[in-house]
Amino acid sequence: MRLKKANSLLITLLLCAGAIVSFFPIYMAVINSFKTQGEMFASFTALPTKLHFENYSQAFIQTHLLNSALNSTIISFVGIGGIVICSALAGYKLSRTRGKMSSAIFFLFVASMLVPFHSIMIPLTRMAKDLSVQGSTYGLALIYIGLGVNMAIFLYHGFVKSIPRELEESAQMDGCNEFQTFFRIIFPLLLPITVTIAILDFLWIWNDFLLPLLMLTDVNHYTLILSTNMLFGEYNKDWSLILAALVLTSIPVILIYAFFQKFIMEGIAEGAVKG
Amino acid sequence: MPFKIYKKYVMLLAFTAPALIFYAIFLLIPTISGMYYSFTDWNGLNPNYSFLGLGNFVEALKEDPDFLNSLWFTLKYVLVMIVLQNVLALVLAVLIESRMRSKGFFRTIFFMPNMISTIISAFMWTFVFSSVLPQIAEKTAIAFLGQSWLGDPKVSFFSIIIVSLWNGVGYMMIIYLAALQGVPQSLKEAAIIDGANAFQTLRSVTLPMITHAITICFFLTLNGAFKVYEVVYGLTGGGPGRSTQVITMNIYEEAFSNNFRYGYASAKSVILFAIVLIFTLIQLRVMKKKEVEA
Repeated sequence: MRLKKANSLLITLLLCAGAIVSFFPIYMAVINSFKTQGEMFASFTALPTKLHFENYSQAFIQTHLLNSALNSTIISFVGIGGIVICSALAGYKLSRTRGKMSSAIFFLFVASMLVPFHSIMIPLTRMAKDLSVQGSTYGLALIYIGLGVNMAIFLYHGFVKSIPRELEESAQMDGCNEFQTFFRIIFPLLLPITVTIAILDFLWIWNDFLLPLLMLTDVNHYTLILSTNMLFGEYNKDWSLILAALVLTSIPVILIYAFFQKFIMEGIAEGAVKG
Repeated sequence: MPFKIYKKYVMLLAFTAPALIFYAIFLLIPTISGMYYSFTDWNGLNPNYSFLGLGNFVEALKEDPDFLNSLWFTLKYVLVMIVLQNVLALVLAVLIESRMRSKGFFRTIFFMPNMISTIISAFMWTFVFSSVLPQIAEKTAIAFLGQSWLGDPKVSFFSIIIVSLWNGVGYMMIIYLAALQGVPQSLKEAAIIDGANAFQTLRSVTLPMITHAITICFFLTLNGAFKVYEVVYGLTGGGPGRSTQVITMNIYEEAFSNNFRYGYASAKSVILFAIVLIFTLIQLRVMKKKEVEA
């Protein structure tokens, strides 16, 4: 029994040590974002003697924070909305229809999940230019729909199997057409997997870097991540300013994490098992 | 009855059309046209270009030391990530799983870095590597911390690994935790009654029960690691020189900042796609066999 207790203590200590290492960069970024350059060079590890909010107001202005956060929000919401509606429709019908054509379409979607984004970024940029969606906030959201439906269809396709067919049959007896049946009966029942998909896609789109970098040319359309990246390039060694920007950029996702923790964890586990 | 069959297809198309349209425009057509461009010397602008056959592929694999170096660097990265990320995630998951009261706390802490955008993580760590650690080294005389984390190619490989693990382990840990929770307690208890110690129980009972999670995490790590870009971009920018350049960076450079060789860069993209495909198929085959045995 003694040995067991000692073991348990050792495990706790190990985990605590890991947690400290894991938290260290975030802690460093936060405490130093409140210091002046001079204070930092005296000691990075000391707590700030006085909270310098100037770094934050400066970063707030330099990243055009409100504007870039709004852009990120629009892109995420339009993207997620499109992915959810298109994929729920397709995933549901593909799951319910038997036959060669249905399997072929489903296979086409699923197989494309293996295509690395970097393998298509060149022709995709070309395509965006040709359709003149390059440089636009909404255009970028449309591209996310195109890139995101395959995974979402896959998840919906699996989830629909757990919904009894009798529900649709009785709705159709009551005179609903196929679309009414879908939107009134089926779609509400898909809510758990819809939440999963929305969260996974939110994290992907909100945090994405390369696609916005390729697609957005005008600073006014920049996402939060792009604005921070630009700041990092311009004020390369002005750490107090950059750290404040890094902290500001991370606050939205940390808040989302705090609120939706349970769903995020379940979503990842669910996505992985189905995936 | 032919009307009914006809209706079935119309409905199938009506439901899948919205998704198919977006998918075709932004994923399917780019994939196919990228493959087409890869056989040409197109520069992305000039309407006139000529067919090279396999010329681009031969050049990339035979006469392009930068590409081969980036390929080699990426392969090393993928291999190290597959091993370290999964071992670390599994160890964390097993340790956390054994805590009854503090489970939620540790899960939260270890997963948190995953929420932060990869590029932001890389910038945060650049600060730690370039400023914080050297200063700590100076003050405490731990010379090890003062090394050139981002300037020396051998060391910066490990800096890149550290940040990638910091960012990615939490995700795999969640999947392993979910799988561990699905292992029936009674099986573990039975093993312990039979005299197995904790390690033996893990090896002979728990691990075989979670092979599907191992397959998934290997697959996710493999796929993610080949696409590595942001971490390297944020930490070293591929430097010093081109010593830490990864494939994706090499492709980006070729197409957008070097010579605008769209066709040639497309060929490199196709090579990347082929490599990911081959590795994934091999991995899934090997792991599926293991799953059947267990």
